[in-house]
Amino acid sequence: MINEQVYRRFNHTVAACFVIYFLFPEYILEIKREYYILLFWILIITVEYLRLNKDLKVIGMRDYESNRIAGFVWFATGTCLILELYELGFVPQSLAIATIIMAAYTDPLIGEANQRFGDKWGIGLGLLSSFLIYQLIIGVLFYSIIGSMVAVASERPKIKWFDDDLAMQIIPILVLTVLSLMDFSPDLPQNILGGKL
Amino acid sequence: MKITRIYIYLMYIIVIFCIISFISEEHYIIASLLFLGNMLPGYAMAMSLMENNEN
Repeated sequence: MINEQVYRRFNHTVAACFVIYFLFPEYILEIKREYYILLFWILIITVEYLRLNKDLKVIGMRDYESNRIAGFVWFATGTCLILELYELGFVPQSLAIATIIMAAYTDPLIGEANQRFGDKWGIGLGLLSSFLIYQLIIGVLFYSIIGSMVAVASERPKIKWFDDDLAMQIIPILVLTVLSLMDFSPDLPQNILGGKL
Repeated sequence: MKITRIYIYLMYIIVIFCIISFISEEHYIIASLLFLGNMLPGYAMAMSLMENNEN
């Protein structure tokens, strides 16, 4: 058997590729691209329904996920929600891209660091990773510092019905979006990708 | 197991495709982030696949 923990981590980091969505044209096969988000989410929910109710074997699941919603569903839900919020004009593209990549990398990094070196390292490396990603993509210290702190804080609570895979995407992006609307906040670059694939 | 293997290969293809797409659009920072973030887990996954093959 393949190493399931490595498989889980790789699945998590590959999720950063969701940002390719922003290079897609507005219409694909004459259907607006946002409908594909919904289609993708329904596909994920269907797989999860079959896994929980019809004994569909999905490798890489943790023991406690045998009778509760799996991490991949929470992550996909968070990403689909961010993309829909972007399409509705509620969140800027720059924050959507940075948050999706940040969540895809920081959560497994914290998990790995916690396991190998302890919780303090998990928090430290999580802060560093999320700060660097926000700073590289957005380039505004104010948002990078707050975004990284909120992201790591969102990862900590272990709540059965609000997984950290979802929390690490939704909470930071909402906090940063609200902050960007405040008078005292520095300007936030709105769009960083404009091209079409 | 065969489906899992195909799925893993598909993940590699997706990562490579996305990196190339962002490079071709001159978004080097995002392309680099996709490469750097997937490099280690991708390597570990490849090692695990090879060990599995040997067994």
